Formats: sequence, structure tokens, C-alpha cells
Amino acid sequence: MNSIRLLPRRIFAFVARDFRLFVSYRMQFFLRIVSVLAVVTTLFFISKIFAGFTDPQFSQWRDPLATWLTGLAVLNYFMTGFSSLANSIRQEQMQGTLESVLLTPINLPTVIVASSAWDFLETTFFSFLYLFFGRIFFGVQFRGSFFLAFLFLLLTTVVLSCLGILSASFAMVFKRGDPFGVFIGAGSALFSGVFFPTQLLKTYAGPKLGSISLILPTTHGLDGIRQVLIEGHGFAQVTQPLIVLLGFLVVLLPFSLWVFGRAVRRAKREGSLIQY
Amino acid sequence: MSDLTISIQNLSKTYPAPFKRLRTFFRRPVKEPVEALCDVSFDVHTGEIFGLIGRNGAGKTTLTKIVATLVQPTTGSVKVRGHDSVKQDEHVRREIGLATAEERSFYWRLTSEQNLLFFARLHGLADRSARQRIKDLFARLELDEVARRRFGELSTGNKQRLAVARSMLASPPVLLLDEPTRSLDPLAAARMREMIRSLAQQDPPVTILFTSHNLAEVETLCARVAIISRGTIRAIDTPRQLRDLTSESELVHVTAAGANGMFKTSFTRQHNDNTLDETIRKLQNQGARIIDIETERATLLDVLERYEATDEQH
Repeated sequence: MNSIRLLPRRIFAFVARDFRLFVSYRMQFFLRIVSVLAVVTTLFFISKIFAGFTDPQFSQWRDPLATWLTGLAVLNYFMTGFSSLANSIRQEQMQGTLESVLLTPINLPTVIVASSAWDFLETTFFSFLYLFFGRIFFGVQFRGSFFLAFLFLLLTTVVLSCLGILSASFAMVFKRGDPFGVFIGAGSALFSGVFFPTQLLKTYAGPKLGSISLILPTTHGLDGIRQVLIEGHGFAQVTQPLIVLLGFLVVLLPFSLWVFGRAVRRAKREGSLIQY
Repeated sequence: MSDLTISIQNLSKTYPAPFKRLRTFFRRPVKEPVEALCDVSFDVHTGEIFGLIGRNGAGKTTLTKIVATLVQPTTGSVKVRGHDSVKQDEHVRREIGLATAEERSFYWRLTSEQNLLFFARLHGLADRSARQRIKDLFARLELDEVARRRFGELSTGNKQRLAVARSMLASPPVLLLDEPTRSLDPLAAARMREMIRSLAQQDPPVTILFTSHNLAEVETLCARVAIISRGTIRAIDTPRQLRDLTSESELVHVTAAGANGMFKTSFTRQHNDNTLDETIRKLQNQGARIIDIETERATLLDVLERYEATDEQH
């Protein structure tokens, strides 16, 4: 009970710490903003190559710039949901600060959640920048319910956080060489339809390879958000990706928490919690 | 409330061979499990400064980490103020502060103050009381001048003092101090010892589990000392009793001035016998003046060496 009451203060402690560390590298911050602008500008010019040539069967790709920007912004967010939990543990392990953090009356799940809070704030800012620069400088239009899009964003992030918990469990036991990172990280950009429609995979790579996209939660999350923001679909039209994401959540949440509990016990038994 | 603050019962810790089944499956060589502690039992009383001495790898760090809930014991139990270190680990962490000489346990790009504020918030301190507590600790440990300096810019001694300050943030009733004076200059080390002593004497008193390789320091500070060797507690007693275990005699050198100038006489005496009285009386009866008396007693180092030699024979 006491832990729940103190949770906001502890999350604030991590956010304040990470903000201080972040502003101690000011140059990096400005360079990242410039790089986002450079990416958006580059995509704008590439999108001009396809102006008027988009295949009408790909309804989400009528304005490729809007679709790419949504894909990049959202993928950025999804990847934070997936990677920040494991990264927070790994970074504290490598810095040598995990032991001192774990000496305070705070449990490991709280450390993981609280130490990834800043990552989400930072990603929210940079993901928003993709959409903001697209809207301000290149006139990209978004429509539909932003609330519904946010619901998809939240749900997909939670699903990916479950995979992130599995990844964090892996980091605790094996320290490096996380297989989830390879599968989700590299796989999402290729198979989730960030840069091209997933239907093309089936056409050109065959049905087996094409169906990989279906087992990635990012595909369904991205599809739902694009249906809402680009095609202007309402709740009734996006129930299919919504149900798939809920299915992922029902399976992955209890499984990831179970694996995490076992990993923590093992690391404490071996005394390897703070090793990297 | 019980006088016992730390109770360690039949504590053993064996680090298992990592990934034994996986390595066996792939026919890779499997490392042997490491027995770090074997059937360790002792109690530390409220307000006591309890010393733990032993060679590197003797098991001091593992023992301290188990008390601090960072490592789980294989068998046995540790209770801190009645709370079990495994089942009630969060309760235990509320009761203890650990200061180690590990420099990497701080954020190097944050200032001393920002570092402590972060840890104070994790302890659940509200910002206002945290800042006041940090200010008090900086004054007490003479860290005011480096409050706004980045941790990475601090001298080794100041880093060490900051680690002690951090362990005291939440005013815990139990402190685990691992070589708290290792990098301090002699004056700062003396002040640190004085502060440690005062913590144990304050009301309510702080109970301190103290590890150090500076045996003279352990002898000065600790009410009782445990000698740990190869994971086993070999002896627990007051420093004086431990010395007496090695040798009940001491060598005495008396320097006196007589009619023919200064001279020195040496003899061996048993503790509490009257050889010294008799010698002094005899010299004074001869008209000599006592200038100096020096004694050479067994030290904790002798005790440690004795146990190590016994272990090596086995």
C-alpha cells in the first residue's frame, strides 16, 4: 500500500534524474531535432516521386508522406515500449548504479517501470515532432478520432511492453544477446508496414514470409492507427485490429509477468542481479 | 523491543554454477559451485559497532549483501529488527543504509546534491525534508563545498564521504559500512571514526556492521569483532579477548634513568599478573626514574594470521 502511495514520487525521482542527465548533453538534443527534420524533408521529396501513382488498392498509401510519418512516429513509440524496460535494467547494470537503487525500499518492477518513464516522455516528444514537422512544413493532413488513435497507441505500447518485460527478464539472466530485440526490433521495420504495405510482402515474398507480419503486434497497431488517422475510420471499422491486440495482451501479460518473477528469483539466487 | 538488531542464523550461501544444465547439454565445461558462506551465525545488538574482518574473498561482501537483501541465502536466515531479509526485503531495506567504496554506484554527470536528492526520493522522502536532510548531512560530513560539483569531479575521499552520506539519508537504524575510511586522509578518517562512534551512542542508537582491512581502526571502534575465513566465522569476541586467544602474554619494555644514565629493561608478563608492579617498584627502590613504558601485545593481525595458518594446514 505504501509502495503504491509512493509510486508517483519515485517515478518523478527517475524522471527528474533522467531529465538532468539529458540536459547535461544539450548538443545531442538539438542534433536529434535536426535529424527528425532532415528525415521528414527527405521523405517529403521521396513521396513526390509517387505523387499520383499510388495503387488504389492501398487506401492508406494515397499520401505516402502521411503514411510514412505516422509509421515512423508510431514505430518509435512502440519500440520504446518494447526496449526501454530491458534498457533501463541494462543501463543501470552497466553504470554500476543498479545496486544502489535496489538498496532503497523499492521493488524491481517499480525500478523498471519508473526508470523507463523518461524514455516515454522523450519518445512522445520526438514522435510528435514527425507529425508536427509534416503538418507545419509539408501540409500533411490527419483526420479521424485522435482519442481512438491514442487508444491504439496505448494498447500496442502495453502489448510491446509485455515483450519488453520478457526482454528485461532475458537481460537479467543472460545479460546480453536478447533474441526478442532482434525479432521485434529488426522485424517490425520490415514486416509491419512502416515503409510499404504489408500486402506487398505476400505478393513478392510468398504467403509464408508475408504472414510473419500477422504475428507482430506492431502490424495491427500501426494498421489501426492509420485506419483512424489517415482513412478517418470510426470505432466500428477498427474492431478487427483492436481484438487482435487484446488477444496479444491476454496471452502476453500473465506470461511475461511469470517469466519476469522467475528471472528475478534466479538472479538473486545467483547473486548476478548487478552484473552485466 | 528486543535488544537484537541483526540476527543471523545458520546462514550459508553457495553460488550455483551458471547455466549448468545448458552447459551440460552443449557439453561445455561446467564451473564448480562456489561456497561463499558456511553456517554463519551471530547477533548484533542495538547500538553496537560490530566488526567483520577477514581476507579478500573470505565472504564479508557476500554476508553484507545478504543482510542488505541484494543476494538471497541458500539456507539459513537473516533478520533485521525482526524482519526477514528474503520474505520482507522491502521492510529490511527501510531499516538499513549501506556505504561501500564502489565509485560507480553514483551518477557521474549529476552533482553531489542531485545524486542524493534522487536517492532520497526513492526512500520516499518529500522534497523539502530531503533537501534539509541533505544539507544537514553535507554539513556533518564536510561536503558543503562540493554540493554543486558533479560527482565525476570529486576527489576519491569526497566520493567516499558522499557514499556514507547516502547511506544515512533515511536515518536508518542500521548501517552497513564497508571500509568507510579507505580513501580518506588521516584527519578526515579520524573525524569519520568519531562520527561513527557518535552514531552508535546517539539516542536512538544506530547499529553498525563495520568491515575494514584497517585492523587498528576495527580495534578502536568495534565492541565485538567476527573473524571470517573461507566463508566460516572462526571467532567472535571483543578485540581484547580475541588478542588474548592468540597470546595471553605481552612483551614490556621499561626505559628508566639511573645514576649511570638511561637504560632499558624488557620482560614478558601475563595479563593481570604483578610483574610490571614489581619491576617498577624494584627500579624505583634502586633510585631509578621511570621514563617510558611500552608494551607489545598480540594484535588482531596476529589473530587473523593464526586462523589463516590453521586453515592453510587443513
